[in-house]
Amino acid sequence: MSVTARIAIGWLYLVLCGCMAPEGYEPHVPEGDPRQGREVLAELECGVCHVIPGVPGARGRVGPALADYKRNVYIAGRYPNDPDILTRFVRDAPSMSPDTAMPAIEMSEAQARDIAAYLYSL
Amino acid sequence: MSEQHVQSVLHSAPGSGAELLEELGMVLYVGAALIFVVVMGLLLHAVFSRRLRASARAWVIGGGIVFPAVTLFVLLTYSLAVGSAVSALNSGTALQLLLNCFGIDSNARIPPPLPGTLRINVVGKQWWWEVRYRAADGELRNVPLANELRIPVDEPVELMVSSGDVIHSFWVPSLAGKVDMIPGRTNRLVVRTSEPGIYRGQCAEYCGGQHALMALYVVAEPRERFYDWLRNQAQPARAPTDPFLRSGYDAFMQGRCPECHTVRGTPAEGTSGPDLTHIGGRHSLAAGVLKNHIGTMAGWIAGSQDVKPGNLMPDSEIHTGSQLRALAAWLESLE
Amino acid sequence: MPSWIHKPSWVHKPTRKIVLLVTGAIALVLFGALGAAVVLLSGAYSTAATTQHFKITHRLLDAGLRYSVRASASDIQAPILDEPHKYEQGAACYRLHCAQCHGAPGIAPDEEGRGMLPIASNLAQSAREWPAEWLYYVTKKGVRMSGMPAWEFRMSEESLWSTVAFLTRLPSLTRAEYAQLSQYSAQLECESAEGAEMQASEDRTKIVFRQYACHSCHRIEGVVGPKSYVGPALVEWSHRKYLAGTLPNNEENLVRFILDPQAVRPHSLMPKLEVAPAHARQMARYLLELE
Ligand code: HEC
Ligand code: HEC
Ligand code: HEC
Ligand code: HEC
Ligand SMILES: [Cu+2]
Repeated sequence: MSVTARIAIGWLYLVLCGCMAPEGYEPHVPEGDPRQGREVLAELECGVCHVIPGVPGARGRVGPALADYKRNVYIAGRYPNDPDILTRFVRDAPSMSPDTAMPAIEMSEAQARDIAAYLYSL
Repeated sequence: MSEQHVQSVLHSAPGSGAELLEELGMVLYVGAALIFVVVMGLLLHAVFSRRLRASARAWVIGGGIVFPAVTLFVLLTYSLAVGSAVSALNSGTALQLLLNCFGIDSNARIPPPLPGTLRINVVGKQWWWEVRYRAADGELRNVPLANELRIPVDEPVELMVSSGDVIHSFWVPSLAGKVDMIPGRTNRLVVRTSEPGIYRGQCAEYCGGQHALMALYVVAEPRERFYDWLRNQAQPARAPTDPFLRSGYDAFMQGRCPECHTVRGTPAEGTSGPDLTHIGGRHSLAAGVLKNHIGTMAGWIAGSQDVKPGNLMPDSEIHTGSQLRALAAWLESLE
Repeated sequence: MPSWIHKPSWVHKPTRKIVLLVTGAIALVLFGALGAAVVLLSGAYSTAATTQHFKITHRLLDAGLRYSVRASASDIQAPILDEPHKYEQGAACYRLHCAQCHGAPGIAPDEEGRGMLPIASNLAQSAREWPAEWLYYVTKKGVRMSGMPAWEFRMSEESLWSTVAFLTRLPSLTRAEYAQLSQYSAQLECESAEGAEMQASEDRTKIVFRQYACHSCHRIEGVVGPKSYVGPALVEWSHRKYLAGTLPNNEENLVRFILDPQAVRPHSLMPKLEVAPAHARQMARYLLELE
């Protein structure tokens, strides 16, 4: 494409608002329901230790803030941030990282999936 | 977990003082509404009708003197009757109730607990409740607990409420009216319910920064279960069984925790914080603020100042991640 | 009544001119910004390292570098550089840290060094033309947007000056002489900045973070860098109770973790960055003040 053509296209972008941010990584949690996930997070009170946007009262600072989780590259500084691993981690962190301060809180597999789906939807 | 009831004066528990009070309230609301409607009707009538049917004098005497006098007399009698029914629950007299209202009935005249009646001391503290069971039953004297009350159903339970610092107020709307907790004074309240379940209560007198997060649960259980529970609560804490719980116990003892908390049967004998001997069996943590599971427990220990800012427990700052989990697991094991 | 009151044009004419000029200037600025936006959004500006700078751009940048270095290096005082063994020591540093980009007498830059824009010039030329203080300054502070790293946080003060001592000799070295020197200096080590002193001003600490590339993985409050979330965002840090999910968050533990993450968590993906202890402490204090 010639430079002139590109500049012409540039004008077009400008007219059409010009936002051309490339698509980010969009993880998908099979059978995870983000809306349900938010309720599970509130129900299990994960907010005592985490700041979680959209979950009332979640302003704990024991662990890292869980905002915009899909941009994080790693989980707990150790595992790649991937839906399956995240689902396992929220359910039983100590088995994956024995020195962690995050306890294993009782929940079902489905609940863990919903949580993961919500965290990725932030 | 048994059924949790709505915290509301409009959902009073059957057989409780609150039920009588709710009835009284209803009569007053409905009566007042009726009178209001009638008065408004008369007003409209007066404005729009051309002819005065009765003499003005009859209206003034009938509606202004006779009607209020009769109504108030009936209401007073009725409310005294309700009062004496409530105090019958309190096993006192209507007169005593009246004296109580004016604060004339002093501490000195608090009768000894009736034989067979369960007496519980509840002391309001910033921002939690110290609870001490004093069952007449010999072996169950003096069981110190915190932040949760259990009562047997269909049995009046005598609460002696006071305060350890500032004025608080003990209020479980579905069970009884409010009673202030005043430093240097002990007030008495009898609660009773015939429906098992969990009733939520709330401090009802502003007592400082975390007043809003000073709640408690009252669990009503069948008599048998209740006494089993109380016998268990009277026991000291069980020794940790496995190495992980053991390390949690050690973490507790190494931290500042024993300065403020008692775990009966261990060297921890502090009294400025709630008794933790059977913390794992409670429905909530930190005076009704959090549900009780290993996550909230660990979160509370490491970050109570974010959960309940300004509360009198400092964040633990020395435990590693696995120590924190072990500590929380050990406390949860104390049922 | 004075006559000029009746001649409003005398008052208004220059005002009109000013208004015209100002509007013109604003329009020009807006037009320029619009043009820049078009070029940016259309992708017409190439970021490829294979396209060349315009000649004028290159000359301008070069001149800019010289003036900037001259101004900044004006109060640096070089120590005695021809002490015995100093330049041999410098040769060791040069071989280790510089030759891959700048090459050496008779030796080409390594492959990483060849594809750069701007290309790292052969220093035999610069060393002939530049005083020692300038060489020292550029080596210590680096050159922004060029790929020339700052060596302040990787080489001790001593090593920096010995490298400069070597550079001053560079133009006079033959291929054989350099080969010999290079062989001799192979047994010498280049001293790192391990024993650095703590200079704890806030600005200085931000430099420290950048110089250890912490911001290549972390978003750090107050430090400009890429939007990277490889490591957790280091914001509002003073409120955090646990560090790396396992240690209570306090200065000692933070220093411990920054110095050697794997000693704390063997599987941690946070790399060990050979941070000088003083710098680790400085960074820890900075983080612990983030509200
Ligand atoms: C006792 C406090 C605590 C509780 C309760 C808690 N967490 Fe955590 N959480 C942590 C800590 C500490 C970490 C850091 C763990 C690590 O690095 O090993 C963490 C890490 C995480 C991470 C990974 C964060 C990252 O940046 O990679 C997720 C996701 C998470 N928690 C979700 C949850 C969910 C969901 C719950 C509720 C079911 C929960 N947490 C309850 C303390 C807690
Ligand atoms: C300075 C005194 C103090 C120290 C030290 C202290 N606590 Fe507390 N703790 C308190 C107070 C006061 C409360 C009640 C706080 C409230 O609810 O407002 C409390 C509440 C608690 C509760 C909730 C109790 C309940 O009934 O819900 C737990 C669990 C607890 N502390 C555990 C610990 C542990 C574990 C440690 C040691 C790491 C510790 N505390 C150290 C004073 C202290
Ligand atoms: C990653 C590649 C790289 C490394 C390694 C490197 N440089 Fe550079 N250097 C550059 C680039 C690029 C420039 C800027 C272009 C230029 O003007 O030469 C530069 C410029 C310079 C200049 C200014 C020269 C001039 O004429 O503009 C000096 C002096 C210099 N470097 C010294 C060193 C020293 C000493 C070392 C080793 C301690 C070193 N460099 C290591 C890439 C590098
Ligand atoms: C290559 C990428 C990378 C670089 C460079 C890096 N870090 Fe990290 N950092 C990480 C990762 C990944 C973690 C999570 C590790 C873990 O939890 O075990 C981390 C964790 C941390 C933590 C704990 C964060 C938390 O939420 O608990 C701190 C503090 C930290 N890094 C500081 C630094 C400093 C200071 C530097 C520069 C000297 C630095 N990092 C450089 C990747 C990096
Ligand atoms: Cu209060």
